[in-house]
Amino acid sequence: MGWKETAEPVLTRMPSVERPEGHVPFKRKLAWTAGILVMYFFLTNITMFGLATGGAGGDFYGRFRSILAGSSGSILQLGIGPIVTASIVLQLLGGADLLGLDTDDPRDQVLYQGLQKLLVVVMICLTGLPMVFAGNYLPVNSQLASQLGIGVFGLKTVLFAQMFVGAVLILFMDEVISKWGVGSGIGLFIIAGVSQQLVAGLFAVPALGTQVTGFFPAWYGIITGGIQLDPFIQSLLFDPGNILALFTTVLIFSIVVYTESVRVEIPLSHARVKGARGRFPVKLIYASVLPMILVRALQANIQFLGQILNNYVNLPAFIGVYSQGQPVSGLFYYLAPIQSRADWMWFSGAFTVSAEPWQIIIRVLVDLTFMIIGGAIFAVFWVETTGMGPESTAQQIQNSGMQIPGFRKNPQVIEKVMERYIPQVTVIGGALVGALAVLANMLGTLGGVSGTGLLLTVSITYKLYEEIAEEQLMEMHPMMRQMFGSD
Amino acid sequence: MSSGQNSGGLMSSAGLVRYFDAEDRNAIRIDPKTVVAFGLLFGILVLILGFAF
Repeated sequence: MGWKETAEPVLTRMPSVERPEGHVPFKRKLAWTAGILVMYFFLTNITMFGLATGGAGGDFYGRFRSILAGSSGSILQLGIGPIVTASIVLQLLGGADLLGLDTDDPRDQVLYQGLQKLLVVVMICLTGLPMVFAGNYLPVNSQLASQLGIGVFGLKTVLFAQMFVGAVLILFMDEVISKWGVGSGIGLFIIAGVSQQLVAGLFAVPALGTQVTGFFPAWYGIITGGIQLDPFIQSLLFDPGNILALFTTVLIFSIVVYTESVRVEIPLSHARVKGARGRFPVKLIYASVLPMILVRALQANIQFLGQILNNYVNLPAFIGVYSQGQPVSGLFYYLAPIQSRADWMWFSGAFTVSAEPWQIIIRVLVDLTFMIIGGAIFAVFWVETTGMGPESTAQQIQNSGMQIPGFRKNPQVIEKVMERYIPQVTVIGGALVGALAVLANMLGTLGGVSGTGLLLTVSITYKLYEEIAEEQLMEMHPMMRQMFGSD
Repeated sequence: MSSGQNSGGLMSSAGLVRYFDAEDRNAIRIDPKTVVAFGLLFGILVLILGFAF
């Protein structure tokens, strides 16, 4: 038990947002949530001081942006990236049970929370420092540097300091929402970004100065004859008709909403109160879509590593060949996820695809394998670390005084029954979601939202809706509050 | 609830960061209003710096 005692003085002193005392009325919860959201949008629109005009030389996160939130060149440049990366490390350590922390023990809970924060700060430095100091992703205004007399290095430090403060702010904004608002901040920031893209994909009018033409304005043009469909099939399916994108988007929406209701229900009855019955649902997407973000972030981190290595050393061809900052062949090319149709539709003629068909097929297969196996593994870890595993749920059912009819009232017995369902359902669900994310990326979605982003948004919104419904129920029936014990 | 889960007895829809009820007495507590105020002031400061130079 060495590391706990050593780290305790640091981990227990990590600053945290105060918990509300007593019940927070639903309206005030909504106000906090909305307030933080407005603040988030405000901060994403502030360009970092000292950045060269013309902004960042291409978004460092690229297409990963939609799941990592934030905005390139703004003080929220890092978005939730560091939080996600820190979470990956924690999941892996926790899932493999290397931490030795028992999350039911109050003292270990404090340590876990502290460790979480410390890891985020470490990750801010690990991703932020190379972003500013390596390569030319965030060029500084050299004129300003000499004007201030601090030199380019000094100004880069100022740039990093702003990014650091922004990233720490996101962490605390999430904590405020988790404790005082509805849902989680991270979920909210992801929905905010994806919804923005989605709305733009539907309604953006070029006359208002947007770069894309939305689905509805495009079809208005097609019907009134302003936009020609030539060649017919191709432009109907892809730009500007975008029928395929509409189809994928609607498909993902319906699949997620449908699978939310697919579940194995384990009947429960109360030991003392005859007739009081309940069910314990084991949902198909039991672990939710959230672990998916971890798999994607892992891929994102591999790509960052490739870009940074490429900047410093001459990589051998089999590791990675880069052209304009993108891998075009070698290991890093195959490890890069398929992000859009232009990445693989070599046969359609609508896109200029430089890679050979066999290279593309390998890349698609690698991406699919990564997402399906990664999705399943992270789902299993997620279930374990968030207390949704057979052991913890058995304990929960036992504590609530319920039992499975026909079985002895004993946590070990309930656990045995749970073990028949939870692991299998988790693995299947995780793999399914992984495959779905790749499919959505390959077919393309409205507004160019990434498949994972769309999946996350739909399921987070669904969860949020459930949570709001639960809140309202408790608001109307104060008795329920005692039952759910969230006072 | 005996188990200190953040969203009560229901299956938790926990975000990526988990918060528990337990808190150490040594920990530095921040008022949520401070977070908002700091964020806004910081944003305005960066904006002003951007205009000033």
